[in-house]
Amino acid sequence: MKRLDMDLVIIGGGPAGMAAAKQAVEEGIEKVIILERDSELGGILQQCIHDGFGLFIFNERLTGVQYAQRYIDLIEKIGIFVKLDTMVLEITQDKQVIATNEYDGLIQINAKAIILAMGCREKTRPQVFINGTRPAGVYTAGVVQRYINIEGLIPGEKAVILGSGDIGMIMARRMTFEGIEVKGVYEIMSTVGGLTRNVEQCLRDYDIPLHLSSTVTKIHGNKRVEGVTVAKVDSSLKPIEGTEEFIECDMVVLSVGLIPENELTRNAGIELDNLTKGPVVDENMMTSIPGIFAAGNVVAVFDLVDYVSQTGIRAAKGAAKYLNGSFDLNESYVLINSGDNVSVIVPQKIRISNLENTEDFYLRVKQENRKTRLIAGSENNAHTTRKFSIVKPPEMIHISLKREELIKIAYEDIYFHIRKDVE
Amino acid sequence: MLNQLYSEVEKNIKLKDYVIEATIDDRRVIFLSGEVDDWKHVVEIGQIAGKIKDIKGVVNRIKVKTDHPDLTDDGFALRLQQATKKGIIDHADIVIVGAGITGASIARELSKYNVKIIVVDKNPDISEGTTKANNGMVHSGYDSPTGSLKAQMNIKGNEMYTKWAEELDFALVRSGSFVAAFNEEDIHYLETYLKRGIANGVPGIEILDGESARAIAPNLHTDIKKALWTPTAAYVEPYTVVEALAENAIDNGAKFLLAAKVLNIVKVEDRVESVITEKGIIQTNCVINAAGVYADEIAEMVDDCFYTIHPRRGTLIIFDKSKQGINERFIGMPPKNFTKGGGPMQTPEGNPLWGPSAIEVQDKENVEVDQQDIDFIVEKAYHLIKGIDKSNIIAYFSGVRACTYKEDFIIEASEIVKGFIHVSGIQSPGLAGAPAIAQKVEEIYLNMNPKTKKRSDYNPYRKKTKRLRECSLKEKDDLIKQDPKQAHIICRCETVSEAEIVDSINGKIPATTLDAIKRRTRAGMGRCQGGFCGPRLVEILSRELGVEPTEVTQKGEGSEVVLRKSRK
Repeated sequence: MKRLDMDLVIIGGGPAGMAAAKQAVEEGIEKVIILERDSELGGILQQCIHDGFGLFIFNERLTGVQYAQRYIDLIEKIGIFVKLDTMVLEITQDKQVIATNEYDGLIQINAKAIILAMGCREKTRPQVFINGTRPAGVYTAGVVQRYINIEGLIPGEKAVILGSGDIGMIMARRMTFEGIEVKGVYEIMSTVGGLTRNVEQCLRDYDIPLHLSSTVTKIHGNKRVEGVTVAKVDSSLKPIEGTEEFIECDMVVLSVGLIPENELTRNAGIELDNLTKGPVVDENMMTSIPGIFAAGNVVAVFDLVDYVSQTGIRAAKGAAKYLNGSFDLNESYVLINSGDNVSVIVPQKIRISNLENTEDFYLRVKQENRKTRLIAGSENNAHTTRKFSIVKPPEMIHISLKREELIKIAYEDIYFHIRKDVE
Repeated sequence: MLNQLYSEVEKNIKLKDYVIEATIDDRRVIFLSGEVDDWKHVVEIGQIAGKIKDIKGVVNRIKVKTDHPDLTDDGFALRLQQATKKGIIDHADIVIVGAGITGASIARELSKYNVKIIVVDKNPDISEGTTKANNGMVHSGYDSPTGSLKAQMNIKGNEMYTKWAEELDFALVRSGSFVAAFNEEDIHYLETYLKRGIANGVPGIEILDGESARAIAPNLHTDIKKALWTPTAAYVEPYTVVEALAENAIDNGAKFLLAAKVLNIVKVEDRVESVITEKGIIQTNCVINAAGVYADEIAEMVDDCFYTIHPRRGTLIIFDKSKQGINERFIGMPPKNFTKGGGPMQTPEGNPLWGPSAIEVQDKENVEVDQQDIDFIVEKAYHLIKGIDKSNIIAYFSGVRACTYKEDFIIEASEIVKGFIHVSGIQSPGLAGAPAIAQKVEEIYLNMNPKTKKRSDYNPYRKKTKRLRECSLKEKDDLIKQDPKQAHIICRCETVSEAEIVDSINGKIPATTLDAIKRRTRAGMGRCQGGFCGPRLVEILSRELGVEPTEVTQKGEGSEVVLRKSRK
């Protein structure tokens, strides 16, 4: 078994991992390695040939592939050590990473610090309970995207899409380009799951029907999908009897949400957040194990790749400080809690002495609302506010708070509320 | 005798208006015909007939009015003609119809002898019927009526599994099972089970108080007052048992001919002469009918059908391995209001498994999952254990049990046709009974062919392939040194390497579909259910089989994964 000693091991070479690697070298960390399970860097971006990436990081509108290539070029130019086709099997609490690939065999890496950047995965059919048979032709949107954009294969001719997540809507348009008939997008909730711009650009522009408060209740066909039953749902999301309709199709595309890829995280014994399903992280993206950091969609599912890279940058800065010992690891944490109309928030805790001049917070609301105000403070005492004209669950709220602002409110646990603006 | 049937039907308010005709022949086989409104009523009348004492069987030809009157398959004649044209493709001493647990067990048992065995199946892989979709429980044997063939086979088969697991190297977890009682009424049931279990000869069966039961299984619900405990109940992954049996049978000379549906069986006078499969004709002296839910149709081909199989569907739910250990052994509940079916348990691989439900269905291919099945299973399990919920579910699916109206196994030589053996009605506890069933078929075969000689080179042992996910670091390292493709992980959820997948495709029973690869290697069986490895498996299968990606299927012809290339 091959053994390596590294200062920083980054697991995953997607937008979080690559941004972290570049930043880590800039921060002066010497021995940095990226472990990537695919045969090239870029992660899921390699199959995202649509545009809209990089508006914040590169001030440009890039395709996913272009965005990835910018970072790949930088990684190559800096000369960061990358192992491709390499699967990490295990991370131990004392920061040993066990990985495997065809050219090295089994590798054991002793790391001084680790950044988890494994991204997320798609929810599958059992997680949304569709009844019926189990024929070929039921795929997640990401799998369809891979078949069409990477493999050049068409997985079906007539598609029904369940869920109005971003990938589902983007694939509705992409499938239409490939001559696949998209019969409709069915969303169980009364609001769209993805970004508004995708409803306009991917569905409306191509006359693809969007059915809200509707779902696929049954899949038909023994060998290959022959059709689905769809139905309207009531306010408790239960199908309404009598509204069932049979739709003939040979493919069901699922876009029903993403969850952080958390197996390695969980097996390492890292504390997980029940709401994000990823690790609990602090202001430096450090997990409950000192020296193990996390960035991007492995922490929580972000809606923009730019945020993913930003958290990678933050994690690398944190790793650098951890490695040179300039961190206070003893100060107790101030917890950041989800208050009114907030579903998830990252980071979930902060240490005052380790704060930068400004700190980024990412949160999602539970319900759409107009004319709102974000209030951060102790449970009863609001100090810091920001105004938002509209908030929607699919669109993450990103705010930067100044160190001074945070210090003022951080004498006890902090709550973030999104409340109706009463001015 | 038939009066009993008519009067029972007359007494039943839902059935009394139907005109049902029943006849009985000199073998005491009851034949039912007539028309009813609902499939449920077909089954109910069949079950009334099945309860009549000392009958040989029930052939239920009652129809549902709304069904299309003409169910004859237009394509059948053509398929039979095409198959016949292919001519004689092989000769065998024994043709076994069905490559599930029953057929594979028999093949392995008879491969001890100097006989040529061919196992045929309509599916492209072994275990594709009832075998792939049951809970994998090797029952202890308290459940079947004392004196039934089921009870005999179950008790004997359960005991034989230990030797089987040693010889064939498959995972067998003998961790026992419970039936939980919450109140006096339940406890009364437990006492009945205990009595029957003792009469059947179940070793170690006893009733424990709640405390003692929880000492064995700490997550048993605190409301459980008493529990029936049977320490001999065990658990297997059924498809791995069949894989082991089939591989060992092949090592001892047996052949498997898959994707070869039996279209007809030819008799010369009163003796079996050949089997016409979709792949051609096999000449043979002996046909063993282990065709599961289709056993009645196979028996019909030799004009010796004295039983109708009515499919009873069961749905199962599988949970993420991260919930391993929540309930390590089966927990059942006494039947109330005619509820049937299983309860929560854990597979040898460590996935919690709940179910099965039990619903009569008309179509033998009806393996749908309905909301009522899921609700039934989940509600039942919530009563029994704590610490697990629906968000941990990674898969659910259904299978159909091959039930006769007498609800017992049929293992016997045909009284009418020479060289034909019925192994029919093998439903629960068919998996548990498999070793004993195979032995009984061996006896029947030897009776029919007393001059059969043993093979001198018979080898009862089979070694399973070492799996990466089961290896220590040192062992992983060794495996990778032998084959670098072991280091290329294709299925990340279950840690399955490219080497393992390629081996399964080129194995003794080649895995030629995504589902077959899944059963051999577990690739695609984990929490992402093939989301990551699916496209990669299509690529590997296409490469190894030398076919286009558009020809790769999930479960045989008609289930192609992708339909065309996007660009030429």
